[in-house]
Amino acid sequence: MRPFKANGWHLLLLVICLALILPVLFMVANSFKTLQDSYHTMWQLIPLHPTLKNYQTLSRQVALLRLIWNTFFMATLVTLGKLSTGLLAAYAFQYFHFRGKRWVYFAFVATIFIPFTVTMIPNYLVIAKANLLNTALGVALPQLCDATGIMIFLKAMAKIPRSLIESAYLDQIPTHRLLMNIIIPILRPSIISIGAIFFINSWNEYVWPTLILKDKSSFTLPLALQNYISSEGGTNFPLAMALATIMIIVPLAIYMVFQRYILNSISNSGLK
Amino acid sequence: MIEIDTNEIALELKDVVKTYHKVPVITQLNLQIKKGEFMVLLGPSGCGKSTTLRLIAGLEAPTAGEIRIAGTDRQSHAKASDDIAMVFQDYALYPNMTVYQNLDYALKVHKVPKAARQQRLTKILATLNLTAYQDRLPGQLSGGQKQRVALGRGLAKKSPIFLLDEPLSNIDVQLREKARDEIQDLHQANGQTIVYVTHDQLEAMALGDRIAIMNAGKIQMVDTPDNIYNHPANLFVAQFVGTPQINILAAQYQQGQLQFQGQTLPLTPGQAQALAGQGDQGLDLGIRPEHVLVHSQPAGQPAYPAQVTQIIDYGRYQQLTLAVNADTTLKAITTNNDVTKDTTVYLTFAPKHILLFDHKNQKNIEK
Repeated sequence: MRPFKANGWHLLLLVICLALILPVLFMVANSFKTLQDSYHTMWQLIPLHPTLKNYQTLSRQVALLRLIWNTFFMATLVTLGKLSTGLLAAYAFQYFHFRGKRWVYFAFVATIFIPFTVTMIPNYLVIAKANLLNTALGVALPQLCDATGIMIFLKAMAKIPRSLIESAYLDQIPTHRLLMNIIIPILRPSIISIGAIFFINSWNEYVWPTLILKDKSSFTLPLALQNYISSEGGTNFPLAMALATIMIIVPLAIYMVFQRYILNSISNSGLK
Repeated sequence: MIEIDTNEIALELKDVVKTYHKVPVITQLNLQIKKGEFMVLLGPSGCGKSTTLRLIAGLEAPTAGEIRIAGTDRQSHAKASDDIAMVFQDYALYPNMTVYQNLDYALKVHKVPKAARQQRLTKILATLNLTAYQDRLPGQLSGGQKQRVALGRGLAKKSPIFLLDEPLSNIDVQLREKARDEIQDLHQANGQTIVYVTHDQLEAMALGDRIAIMNAGKIQMVDTPDNIYNHPANLFVAQFVGTPQINILAAQYQQGQLQFQGQTLPLTPGQAQALAGQGDQGLDLGIRPEHVLVHSQPAGQPAYPAQVTQIIDYGRYQQLTLAVNADTTLKAITTNNDVTKDTTVYLTFAPKHILLFDHKNQKNIEK
């Protein structure tokens, strides 16, 4: 690419970048301000009197590590569930022949179009019946399968040359070996990028966990954050910003580690 | 066809039919392949040769008929895949495994002891000149190297039957001949039964002990390269093999004599015998370009005056296009470079190289 050239497109991109980064800077800046400063100089990106007091207060008020662990555990459970069911289902759809395959697949994909609000109450009742309220499993269980994952993995598998599978067939490689030793390694970039997206989505999830998690000790970060916004006694704004800053650290780290894969087209199967 | 001792048959296809969605791809295919034989399936694209290979491999099931491996039916033979190794056109190397791992993988899965594996693979890697590349991933190899790895993976399996599906088509032309020789050497060294699919007649001629020429889902002829070239069973085989293509000219059989362009051509004893007692009829006369002899003066009888309308000089030889009259042109090959364009030359045909085909069923009258 040519060196930076301030043509119209770059200007537009710059504006979009700023619009995207500004709220993050705003959040981080305010987390280091005193309550007073945050009201008087809310838009100032460099705090006048930088302080760690908000973080100290937070660590006294909530069990931060516990919150992070809860969120992490739940997000990991959901991500692993979605990845493994997605891979297995896609594998079956791609390589097995069975009656009505097309219709089953359509039925699976159709679930993408069912709004969460429709399934929310029935799911809640099931989880309550199963005695899983207040548990990470209760949050994760209805989300262990995701047609989006099946769809994307299926597309990625379709790009694996047929001859590779046939070659394994002639070598009498058992199905589970084929999946573990050949298909999954080939799909690794797709798996990582989709996994990161699943993880971050689950990490940020709010509505469904609020229904299931009532006990403070089982709270995830988004739920704890809600406590600092408009709870009785008013919002302690810098405190909320500090918690929000803590909340983005893990997704940010994941993003930075797997950036290469996420930026690569998620349909890239890694064969070229 | 000559009867072959069935004990020696490695592979047999009996009345095999394959249809896809009611469209026949293979119709009534019969083929016997001897143990240790290098059999080439040759034909234009879409003739069913790859499908035949896939049927032998067991990647497809025949719609009807039987495929017998070492005398046992393919379908009922659970361990049939043990007897077969296959090299795919795109090599189908596992992209996430190194060269060594590619060769090792199937053996490892089938629990071949490590020492035995190592010994076998070291030898194969050395034979294929791959020792230096054994830790590379397929993505880091050239086309020729990948092809050798694919061959090596087939060899590692030690199967008596080796199937190769256009293994040279993805290799640079300059390297193709070398790769071809390597395959031949391997065959000679290992004595495996090879079924080799190609659309390249030169490859087929160079490699095959016998060639099965296929067209439209049928085998047209199975024979040695020599017989395929010099005694083609029908017009399709004659035209498919040989560059430039064989000249096919309209001739007549009248009162026991072969007439072409108003002159009588001699018949070989075999042809005379085949035509004996038959009535007058049109025949297709086939003569290969190298058997059309070009003279500057009328020499011998019968000679046909012809106009030189085009000369393509390939250096080693010249390809001439010659017009006997407005309707009859043919190609000839000369090596003396003494013909000039737009002059008149005189053509003769060596009688023993004249092929005659029945005009209706297109079969060689001698077959």
